[in-house]
Amino acid sequence: MDSMDSSVASPDLGLALGFPFWVASRRRFKPDDPFFASGNLERELLAKHVALDLTEDERFQLQRMEIADANLFCPIAGCGARLEYLEEFEDHYNTRHMASCSVCFRVYPTSRLLSIHISEVHDSFFQAKVARGFPMYECLVEGCGAKLKSYKSRQRHLIDKHRFPSNFEFYKKAHPSKHQRQKLQRKAYKGGDAKDQESFMDLDAKKESKQTRPKHYRPQQEVKTGTERESEMEVETKLHHPQTTETKVVTNCEAKNEKAKAETEMEVEERIEDIVSGISKLSTVDASSPSSVSFGHRHSRGFAFVPRSVRNQNQISKREQTRKP
Amino acid sequence: MASEDTSPSHSHHRDSIKSSVGNTAANRRRQQAISIGKERREALIRAKRLCRDSIFDDDDNEKGLDEGEMVIDEEQSVLNARTAQTVQELKSSLSYQGKDATQKTIEALRALRKLLSKSEVPPIEAAIQGGAVPLLVQCLSFGSADEQLLEAAWCVTNIAAGGPEETKSLLPALPLLIAHLGEKSSVHVAEQCAWALGNVAGEDMELRSILFAQGALLSLTRLMLSNRESTARTAAWALSNLIKGPDPKAANELIRIEAITDTIVKHLKTADEELVTEVAWVVVYLSALSDKAISILVRSDVVPVLVNRLVGSESLQLLIPVLRSLGNLVAADAYITHSILIVGNDITDQVLYGLIKCLKSEHRVLKKEALWVLSNIAAGTLEHKTLIFSSEAVPLLIDLLSAAPFEIRKEAAYTLGNICVGPTKGSDNKSDIIVTHLVPLVKGGCLPGFVNLVRSADVESARVGLIFLELVMRGYPNGEGPKLVEREDGIDAMERFQFHENQEMRNVANALVDKYFGADYGV
Repeated sequence: MDSMDSSVASPDLGLALGFPFWVASRRRFKPDDPFFASGNLERELLAKHVALDLTEDERFQLQRMEIADANLFCPIAGCGARLEYLEEFEDHYNTRHMASCSVCFRVYPTSRLLSIHISEVHDSFFQAKVARGFPMYECLVEGCGAKLKSYKSRQRHLIDKHRFPSNFEFYKKAHPSKHQRQKLQRKAYKGGDAKDQESFMDLDAKKESKQTRPKHYRPQQEVKTGTERESEMEVETKLHHPQTTETKVVTNCEAKNEKAKAETEMEVEERIEDIVSGISKLSTVDASSPSSVSFGHRHSRGFAFVPRSVRNQNQISKREQTRKP
Repeated sequence: MASEDTSPSHSHHRDSIKSSVGNTAANRRRQQAISIGKERREALIRAKRLCRDSIFDDDDNEKGLDEGEMVIDEEQSVLNARTAQTVQELKSSLSYQGKDATQKTIEALRALRKLLSKSEVPPIEAAIQGGAVPLLVQCLSFGSADEQLLEAAWCVTNIAAGGPEETKSLLPALPLLIAHLGEKSSVHVAEQCAWALGNVAGEDMELRSILFAQGALLSLTRLMLSNRESTARTAAWALSNLIKGPDPKAANELIRIEAITDTIVKHLKTADEELVTEVAWVVVYLSALSDKAISILVRSDVVPVLVNRLVGSESLQLLIPVLRSLGNLVAADAYITHSILIVGNDITDQVLYGLIKCLKSEHRVLKKEALWVLSNIAAGTLEHKTLIFSSEAVPLLIDLLSAAPFEIRKEAAYTLGNICVGPTKGSDNKSDIIVTHLVPLVKGGCLPGFVNLVRSADVESARVGLIFLELVMRGYPNGEGPKLVEREDGIDAMERFQFHENQEMRNVANALVDKYFGADYGV
């Protein structure tokens, strides 16, 4: 298939190997190419006059035998799950690779990576240990076990030891546009049942306390060994992010409470923490064990596992915050 | 009901709603087809054809016997025992020296033939194990009576319809079968031998090579010239099995035979759709395997005739090879799009009409392969792209891109993309984007379908999707591309690749996201 093999060098896209821009060219197949398999099958069935006797199901069986997506595997790194047929992939992806962070809505393909993210980005305890010089940044490759002292050195480890591409970024900046989309999604969920108000009354107390001590709150829930940690607050990860050019973002943490309403799309990504701090406790369990949750429609991916009651609380808490002096 | 059915039954609710109208044998055959065990499945997929009925109608031997469709209706073990016995009878009749020897032999052959043709599952293995093959070879010897040759060839035909081991056991018979294709043979004998050879050739490349080496090609081709339609049809089918490759030598040899192109054209024009079908398959393999054949065929009448049939026929069986032949020809040689299917020519409109007809059909194969042909035409000149763009194909394309089964969506994607990308390149060495096509297509709602492809587990489809999104983001006027892509959740789809195992996909997707949705986006 020679349609798009010729890559064009494209410095503007930053690709060393060149970007495979679309080229309109003819595609030719050999007679035994799988492309023709269903047509060949049809020929044989018709010739044997059994075509009409077969149900859709049986036909499908036959096609599967002939075409056999036999070597179809999930393409997400490290997964390797066998897929019976292509259509199955979306479901598989939604159940297995949508470990979503309840705090910042980033999505990870495994629960392990998600929990690493949560520790590194939303856990003040983690940052405290880093500051004291403990090697806290885990190698992302399962089974390696290495721990590095900084994001950068972990990056280097990945590139040197595990041949990761040099442009791989575990902490990818969420795009401001993403935030905008999420805002719109949140607006869509506004307004809930009155009785739901009661269920999160308890949280108000916790929330209150959090608001006064935004940086040091730690959840009381049991911390599972090594792999799962919960966090409430997002910490100023910008301090640790090597690529930051937006130092002005750093100071925004507390100012965000007031700015919640006034915010517009900016280059700042991580300002959602206090909005969802009340709900993160409830939903972190889901976030760290995604395989047991079936996620909803991808458009509301970040919200699929957040109960409506909690989401509503989120709206109310937001309103409350803005009323604070 | 199905108690004697030996095939592992997947039968389920079907039994209870099975109609009881019609003769039980037909019902049983239908039921057999319904509960598809692995063995049956393989038999259905094979490029072989069992010969169940006499190849000619005026078969006096069958008169007086009200056989109906299927007579033999026994347990497999009983059937096998009968077969073994029949083979023994054949053996003894062959060693018999008396004056009725030939008649006895013919009767024994006929009995074996019936077992092999009237049973649901022909006792092929039993026949072979009983030692039938050497006996049949003996029956095929030169000078034997026509009827004997016919019955023997018929037996061999059905044995050759079996699995690989069984077919290979027929090696000793091959040279004789080929010899009996000769012009001196009775036409019925020749046809039956062609059928047997077709089954053998349908097995695998190894056997095809052997047959080719033994000279089957020329003889079968000569038989295809026959005026008898059933003979020509059988010969054409056998020929298609013989040349199907993957080794192209037989196809290359076939096109060198002098009268072949004319014969093909002549047969493609006949009224007998079955003959047209089989000959079209010959063209399929010629065009897929032999470049020499392509250059000869495109300069002959074959293309116009194929187009005619594409437009005029409603038979799925015929349309598949006709469509594919055209597809192979268009794919291989620019000559067609540049010299035959010139925009403005009648034939070009016809082709488009025919392809659109296939797009509208309910058959997956027709849709998929028509899209393939269309995508290749859309890879032609600017005029071709505009022609397709202005036709009723576009709404169909967008619809197929969104809602059809996966493999069809991919082809629709290629077609739509090719319509938007020019044949010329700019100074940046990127193909020109035809904005006048791109904008309406995007407005027409094609983006969701492409974004969906990006999400596919199939790397090629994901690539196609990504590359089209790049077109949109780069070429859509007023820089609106990225926003449009974002609206369709394109960013999410692309971000999935961050953890994709395919490095190229990761790089491509990341590069796009970084360029078009980087820090500056939305500011």
